[in-house]
Amino acid sequence: MKIGKTMLMELKDRWKGFVLFILVVVLLVGGFVQAYPSFREAFDEGLEGSENVEVEVLKGEENISVMLSWKEFEDAENYSILVGESPNMMVPLDIVEGVENTYHEYVLGFDGDDIPERYFAVVAVRSDGERELVGMETNFERRTAFQEIWGIDYGDIQGFLSLLWSTWWVLLIGLYIGYISVNVITKDYEEDRMDLILSKPISRKQYLLEKFMVVSLYTLSVLVIIGLLLIVSVASVGELDSVSSYGLMSSSLLSWPVFLVMISVSMLAGVYLESSRKAVGVSFIFILTQYGINMVGDLTEGLEYLKTYTIINYWDYESALFGEAVSAFDVVFLFVISALLVGSALMIFERKDIPV
Amino acid sequence: MKRSNIFTSKSLRVIKMKDEVVMEIRGLTKKYGDIVGIKDLDLDVYKGEILGFLGPNGAGKTTTIRTCLGLLQKTSGDVKIFGLDSHKDSIEIRQRTGYLPGDFGMYPDLKVKTILRYLLSQSGVSDESKMKELAERLELDINRKYGNLSKGNKQKVGLVQAFMADQDLIIMDEPTSGLDPLMQQKCYELLREEKAKGKTIFMSSHILAEVEEVCDRVAIIRNAELQVVENIDSLKEKMGKKLVIEFENSVDPTLFSMKGVEDFEMDGRKATMIVTSNLDEVIKKISKQNVVNMSLETFSLEQLFLTYYSRGGNER
Repeated sequence: MKIGKTMLMELKDRWKGFVLFILVVVLLVGGFVQAYPSFREAFDEGLEGSENVEVEVLKGEENISVMLSWKEFEDAENYSILVGESPNMMVPLDIVEGVENTYHEYVLGFDGDDIPERYFAVVAVRSDGERELVGMETNFERRTAFQEIWGIDYGDIQGFLSLLWSTWWVLLIGLYIGYISVNVITKDYEEDRMDLILSKPISRKQYLLEKFMVVSLYTLSVLVIIGLLLIVSVASVGELDSVSSYGLMSSSLLSWPVFLVMISVSMLAGVYLESSRKAVGVSFIFILTQYGINMVGDLTEGLEYLKTYTIINYWDYESALFGEAVSAFDVVFLFVISALLVGSALMIFERKDIPV
Repeated sequence: MKRSNIFTSKSLRVIKMKDEVVMEIRGLTKKYGDIVGIKDLDLDVYKGEILGFLGPNGAGKTTTIRTCLGLLQKTSGDVKIFGLDSHKDSIEIRQRTGYLPGDFGMYPDLKVKTILRYLLSQSGVSDESKMKELAERLELDINRKYGNLSKGNKQKVGLVQAFMADQDLIIMDEPTSGLDPLMQQKCYELLREEKAKGKTIFMSSHILAEVEEVCDRVAIIRNAELQVVENIDSLKEKMGKKLVIEFENSVDPTLFSMKGVEDFEMDGRKATMIVTSNLDEVIKKISKQNVVNMSLETFSLEQLFLTYYSRGGNER
C-alpha cells in the first residue's frame, strides 16, 4: 500500500517541530484561559457607591416612576439627586436639590410607558455646604465598553474566548501552518530530493495531495487538541456552565476550513515559486492581509463590508461559542475555495519541469 | 583534409545489438525557452546492454535522461520505454525503472535506512534483502543520518536505491561521481552483474575510461545533438589509427593524399596521420621511402573523444 507513505515520511521528518508547536499552543491557550478570572475582575467596573443606592422601577397605570433609596449618610443635611445618560454626570439631564434627610428615598416620575436607560447619583449635602457622593446606580444592566463598541461582552467567558480567536489565534496558527505548507514542497526542491522521489512510481497528484493532507490533518489535530484543552481549562476556572463543551470544540474546529485555504494558498505559492523564501513571503502576505482587512472591517464603521472579502469572516466562532446556529454555507464556501486552490496547484505541478 | 563521415547524419542510424528495444527515443526535443536542451534525438537502448551516454558538461545528457523519465516535459518527439509512453505511462515505467540522479539530496535529519525504506516502499517492494546486501557490499552504514554522510557515502545511498528494487531498467546519471577508485570498481562490478542478469543499463558519464570499461555501446552528444551511437570497438575501428612515421628524408605530403588518410601533418621528417581505411595502400607508399621509425596506435576512447571534440566539433 503506497498511499500515505509520503505523509508518513513528512511526519518522520517534521515530528519534532510539530510536537513543539503543539506544546507552545497548549501553553498559550491554557495560560490564556487561566487569565480569565483576573480579566473578568478587571472589566467589572462597578459604579462608585452602588452598594449604597438601590433603584426600583414602579409601573403605574398611567405613568412610570423610579424609586431611589439609599443608605443614610452621616452628617448629611439634605441630598441632591442627579439623573444622567452616562456615569460621569458632567452634564446631568435633571437635578433635584434639597431632598430631605428623613426617609432616604425619592420617587422620580417619567412620562410614557418606558424609562430610558439612566444613571442616578445621590449626593449628600453637609451642613457646611460640602457635597459628597453617596452612590450611583442605573435602571438597566450595564454593558462594558467592549459591549458598547462591538456588541460582545468580553467579560463573559464566551466573549473572552472570542478574543482568543479574533486576535492572535489566526496569526499564530496561520503563519506556522503557512510556513509548513510551503516547506513541505519547497524543501524537496531545495534539498534536491524532488527528482529522486518523483522518479519512483508515485504520481505528482498523489505526491501533492499527500503533502496537503499531512498539513491539513496536522492542523485538524492541533484544533482538536485546542478544543479539548479549552473544555478542560474552562472547567478549571469554573465556567463550564456558561458555555457548552460542544460550543468550545466546534468554535475551534470551525477554523479548520479557514486554515485549509491558507494551506492551499501556501502550497500553490510553493509549487509555483519553488523557493521557500519567496513562497513563505507570499503566504505570510496573504495571511497578514486577510487578518489586517478583517481587523479594519471590525474596527471601522462603514468598512465592515471589507470583511466579506476575507476568509476569516467565514469562520463563525461567535455563533459556535454562543450556542447559535452556524452557517453551513460559510463552511462549504471555504472548502470549495480550498479545493479550487489545490486543483490549481495540481494543474501547475503536473505540467511543471522538475528543476535540478 | 576532411575526416571520415562517421558523424554525418547517415551514420546516426541505430546499431542494433539485440532484438528487444527497451528505450526507443524518436525526434526528442527539449527547449527551455529559447535554449535548446536536446534537439531531435533518436536513440534506442536494447535489452541487456549497457549504453554509455557521453558528452561534456551541458551537452544535454541529464536533460535527455530526465525527459525520458517524465521529470521534464518534452517539447516534441516520442519516448517509449518498455513500449509505454514516457509521459502518459510514466508511473508504469517508473515501476520498472531504477534511477540515480546526477545530483540529488535526501532528508538530512533522517537515517539512511528510513529513507531507503521509504523509496523502496514507493516502488511497491517490501523485501529489503537486496537493499541490505547492496549497502553491505558498498560498505554503507544505513543507521547513520543522511546529513552526516560524506559525498561518497551519499553517492552510495544513490546507488543502493537505484538497484534495490531489482528493476528491469536502470538509468544513471554519472554513477561513480564522488566515489573513490575502489568503490568505482565495485560499482562497475555491480553494473556487469546486473547486465549479466539481463538488466538494461543506460548511464551518462564524462569519465571515458568508465564507459570504455563497462559499456557495450556509446552514444555521444554535443551541443544538444546526438553525434554518434556505436559499439565501442566499432567506433574505435571507424575512428581509425594514428600512424606516426619518421622518414630519413623529408617527403612530399601529397604522396599521402588518398582515400582513408586524414589529418596529415608533416613536421620536418616526421609525418603524423589518421588512417581510417586503405592501410595496405598506405604501407605500400611508406615502403617506397626510407623509414627510421614508425608506430601505429589504436585510439583509446578518451583520445577518440578528445580528438572528436577538439577537431570534429564543427563538422556537422
